[in-house]
Amino acid sequence: MAPDFREPHHLPKHRAGAPGPPPGLPRQRRGTTPQMRGRYPDHDVLARAGHWDAATRRLVLDRVENPPPIRFFDAREASTLAAFCDTVCAQEAEPRIPVLAYVDDKLHGGRLDGYQHAGMPDDREVWRRVARGLDDAAREHGLDSFAALPADVRREIVGAFADGDLSGGVWDHMPPDKAWGVVTRSVLAAFYSHPWAWNEIGFGGPAYPQGYARMGVGQREGWEGDEAFEVDPVGDVLERGAE
Amino acid sequence: MSLQTRLKGAVGPPDNDSRHLLDPHARGIPGRAAMRTFDDADEVDLLIVGCGAGGAVLAQRLARAGWRIVVLEKGPFFDPDSDWVSDEEGARSLYWTENRVIGGEDPVELGQNNSGVGVGGTMLHYAGYTPRFHPSDFETHTRDGVGADWPLSYWELKAHYERVEAELPVAGQDWPWGDPHSYPHSAHPVGGAAERAQDGARAVGIEMRVGPVGIPSGTFGNRPHCIYRGFCIQGCKVNAKASPLVTHVPDAIAHGVEIRADSMATRVEVDERGRCTGVTYVKGGRERFQRAAVVAVAGYSIETPRLLLNSTSRRFPKGLANGEDQVGRYVMVQGAPHVAARFPDLMRMYKGPPPQISSEQFYETDERRGFARGFSIQTVGPLPIGWAGHVLADGHWGEALREYMRDYNHWTTLGMLCELLPRAENRVTLAGELDLNGMPIARLDYTQCDNDRKNIAYAKSKLYEIWEAAGAQDTLEIDRYAHLVGGCRMGTSPEESVVDRDHRAWEVPNLLVADTSAMPTQGSANPALTTMALSSRLADRLVAKAAPSASATGAVAVRRAVAAA
Repeated sequence: MAPDFREPHHLPKHRAGAPGPPPGLPRQRRGTTPQMRGRYPDHDVLARAGHWDAATRRLVLDRVENPPPIRFFDAREASTLAAFCDTVCAQEAEPRIPVLAYVDDKLHGGRLDGYQHAGMPDDREVWRRVARGLDDAAREHGLDSFAALPADVRREIVGAFADGDLSGGVWDHMPPDKAWGVVTRSVLAAFYSHPWAWNEIGFGGPAYPQGYARMGVGQREGWEGDEAFEVDPVGDVLERGAE
Repeated sequence: MSLQTRLKGAVGPPDNDSRHLLDPHARGIPGRAAMRTFDDADEVDLLIVGCGAGGAVLAQRLARAGWRIVVLEKGPFFDPDSDWVSDEEGARSLYWTENRVIGGEDPVELGQNNSGVGVGGTMLHYAGYTPRFHPSDFETHTRDGVGADWPLSYWELKAHYERVEAELPVAGQDWPWGDPHSYPHSAHPVGGAAERAQDGARAVGIEMRVGPVGIPSGTFGNRPHCIYRGFCIQGCKVNAKASPLVTHVPDAIAHGVEIRADSMATRVEVDERGRCTGVTYVKGGRERFQRAAVVAVAGYSIETPRLLLNSTSRRFPKGLANGEDQVGRYVMVQGAPHVAARFPDLMRMYKGPPPQISSEQFYETDERRGFARGFSIQTVGPLPIGWAGHVLADGHWGEALREYMRDYNHWTTLGMLCELLPRAENRVTLAGELDLNGMPIARLDYTQCDNDRKNIAYAKSKLYEIWEAAGAQDTLEIDRYAHLVGGCRMGTSPEESVVDRDHRAWEVPNLLVADTSAMPTQGSANPALTTMALSSRLADRLVAKAAPSASATGAVAVRRAVAAA
């Protein structure tokens, strides 16, 4: 039987340490996904925009069509942090969601999250210090900027950050685990508020005023795309040694 | 078949017309344009700070009894059509996002997690669960030797639970736990994600029931039917989900209440005799003072203590009603981890309200578990940003994050609410930093006790049992907290509480605390319904004391009523 997404073999806990996306991911056929991979090759949320209420449509389309300019970070910070955001979100190729643009806009507008851990600086300062900390780590690898590092080294550093495993420099005055919480909160919100990411994961989107009616297991609205598993015929034949 | 079951959905509340006052073609509150207004210098009968679950119900009830009322609300008076969007990130205007400091060994994240703002309060972005507390919640100290006894019993609140359930209205199956009861509206249909959870629970002997949610299942005046779009936490653009904005504010306005939005209360003022004279607040960048015969603070468990602590005077140097250092203490949150499970079929958990089915089978103390009190189990339906938070919390970023995200539609999520116990050192204090109005920001310190940790660990193990029995192919886990309760609790003596059984501050005869912060314990139920029921009861008590002399001009009678209550 051909493999498909019903089985869990493609999930990270079932293929520990395997780099890159799992095999079998189709290319996007309708609309855009980050890096044009996804599970739902014919699902394009933006094609539904005409069915959304005006307030939602304005907000979501503006997010896609007019990514805000970088105003909060300076050029050096922006380059380092854009590379950081792309490493956290595994965006190694175009098309990319401009994650840092949304983060910068939020910080520029002072739209923070409503709490701050005792002993931690303001979220805006946390971001600046993280940029310095990442560049410090790059210098240990002989390069001046985190953005200049090869992808595997960037992943190594981000992995240490995620594990709270950084020390010295900025980290002596800012626990890395708390800083990780601050920055990832904004990174995830920026990435997964973008319709390209909704296409990739098969999310139905705003759905107002229309709503959903087909809620059962395996059901979908007529306009929701279905999941697809794609096998490259040439590679498959070679792999299985089939004629 | 009981009469109540036979009448399901047929009868609305007789003394609240909100559902008819809404516009069938627009979501904004129609009465706003013609709303009565009061002058700052006019001494109103009652000034309420905060237009959420506690404040709005109190205003609606007492307005019908002829009281002249102003409600100050820090946030805006939203129009769901133009101000709200069907979008997770776009819902930020609903959350209290001004800075607060969090500390302790187990810091509680605030903001979007548990703190709302605007006319309607935090219920604008609650998920919609509206369970009652159990009778045992009101006497945990007597029964289980933990927590505190309330100065009132479940049975004094029961009639108000029923009234509020008819007003929201609450939809759900007949409820077998606590004080068994049924609901005015029938249960909503259940989605595929919740069905999986129900199957797993049944396999390990756990009963789950549909509801209870504050969403009509059928017609209810001009409130439209739910469209199952799943954005309940982001503000209901449909007007289907109950919040004070649609359940009590329209009727309150129709009975002469002024709701003054965008007005941040900064101090409750007192005279030389130690009585409240009104509230200083900031609106449009200008400081103003509204006179009032009685002040009720209803700003939820962070802002209510913060306002009282900031209201220092010669007579109350440690803050208003804080002579015994009780203001801000015993703040509670519920342990609310989620465990998500993966199945072969697509279930699309973004569809339908996140609250679908729940169980209170583990609500009460069972000594064999090795800890006091218990927990409830409920479905939740994280949208993409929320789901990304789950995946990251389980330790995945980069390609692993992207793959678990692509797998979103194969997952279903259960959460629990663990009853964590009230502790004096879990408290709100004032931090050194000032906000834009020059008011010190709040700091919340929170640390679990041993009983809390055991409860959470046991509850989590039950969720894993459910998913294993259901045949889950993979699981993801996130530790989190939900809700805020306590901070100005009611009790039987000033040494261990801030207010008495009628919500009146021990130290200030015309100061009331009328919100979730007055609760001494929290059970493992979502607090919204109980907050509303408490305000409903409080209003009854005040009206009874004022009768028959209270009239539309009876500020004196009102003062007497509060003093006598």
